[in-house]
Amino acid sequence: MREVSVTVNGRARKRMIKDNELLLDFLRERLEVRSVKAACWRGECGLCTVMLDGHLVKSCLVLAVEADGREVKTVEGIANDGELAPIQKAFVAHGAAQCGFCTPAWVLATHELLRTNPHPSDAELVEATGGLICRCGTYNQIREAVAEVSAASKPHRQPRESLARA
Amino acid sequence: MSFGSPYTTLPDFEYHKPTSLEEVLGLLKQYGDEAKLMGGGVGLIAFMKERLMSPGHVIDVKEVKELKILENSPGNGLSIGAAVTLSELLEGGVLKKDYTVLHEALAKVADPMIRLRATLVGNLCEAIPWVDSPPALIALDATVSIAGPDGSRSVPVSAFIRGPVDIDLGPSEMVTAVKVPHAKGSQSAFEKFTGGSEFSLASVAVSMSPGGRNKRARVVYGSVNSTPVRSAEVEEAIKDGITPGSIRKAAELASEKVECVDDVLASAAYRRHLIKVITTKVLRRMMSQ
Repeated sequence: MREVSVTVNGRARKRMIKDNELLLDFLRERLEVRSVKAACWRGECGLCTVMLDGHLVKSCLVLAVEADGREVKTVEGIANDGELAPIQKAFVAHGAAQCGFCTPAWVLATHELLRTNPHPSDAELVEATGGLICRCGTYNQIREAVAEVSAASKPHRQPRESLARA
Repeated sequence: MSFGSPYTTLPDFEYHKPTSLEEVLGLLKQYGDEAKLMGGGVGLIAFMKERLMSPGHVIDVKEVKELKILENSPGNGLSIGAAVTLSELLEGGVLKKDYTVLHEALAKVADPMIRLRATLVGNLCEAIPWVDSPPALIALDATVSIAGPDGSRSVPVSAFIRGPVDIDLGPSEMVTAVKVPHAKGSQSAFEKFTGGSEFSLASVAVSMSPGGRNKRARVVYGSVNSTPVRSAEVEEAIKDGITPGSIRKAAELASEKVECVDDVLASAAYRRHLIKVITTKVLRRMMSQ
């Protein structure tokens, strides 16, 4: 066992862990951050996606000990003072969730995409979220949600291709 | 590899995070067979979950400064340290111009989140028959730099991969870098067919040196056999230039001569068909460039 200290959504958390623990288990089981979902356990579905030091990673493929001294952000960390982020509101408005199991990962990933690239083309959206799967098939609603946030952000510019193909 | 295994935990191990190459070699000497090196961990963590590997010691080399080196110069070519990630390689733009075949092979590996952590050396060392980097590296005449208790040595990638999941590396040795000779003015491209799955069912890597006396072509097929397959017949067919005629001939020869295997992913006959298609596709693209 060793002690690790990880800043999760701005709050420093210390826990004793074993070297073979996954970051996914550390977040879900030790810290009870339950928006981080465990599904495939092998880096395919992307539902355990979190931000580690500002980069999206699949937490089932990261050791908890690797996060020692680093910063983790989950979907809980993107709302501002209790007000939902624009992409969260857009997900609600467009019904971009059916069962909702994958939604935290999609919200986090599209939030990050729009932060780094406010006007993504459809190809860029597909590429950036290529590691995520939605089994209910809400991809078109997610497209619409991203397109709405993209269109509302300044400077106003038409996306290169129409995002909302539906 | 048994997919859909119930394993969601990792075997017990001790985690080490050295910061220098000397430290890594010391740990390898101490633990030998008991230790596994971890770059991005993408492969190792998956293997450990499947209990295909249960190392007592995991040595994380991400912070080893000597392994973070990524250099490109006309004299020495491209040197890719063992801890350089696929994202770093792709985003640096270093591959796009002179090492196109490698750029095209890596740009389609998994997804951006995986590429952020996975390393080229890790990808290569897994020596899984359907990974895309080995054929591209062999087409570029790349070599593997190895460090160990008895000093350093260098092996061509084609010889380094001995068989499926079998590489020329001793228990106390490690791959420090992959070196690719400078390929200025050469033309290269990569094509694969995945059938919509995550695995290549067939891939082809082509590299052509600029014309003149030392003209040479390399054509390497991946995912069709247990190790990448070079085809001298196809190379001969396109050596003097890529034309509609030589493309037709190359595609026929490829389908006829390249040895393909039957496995759970595809039959040999289907692979021979795919080889014809991707050979035509890749060469047509090169012809029009």
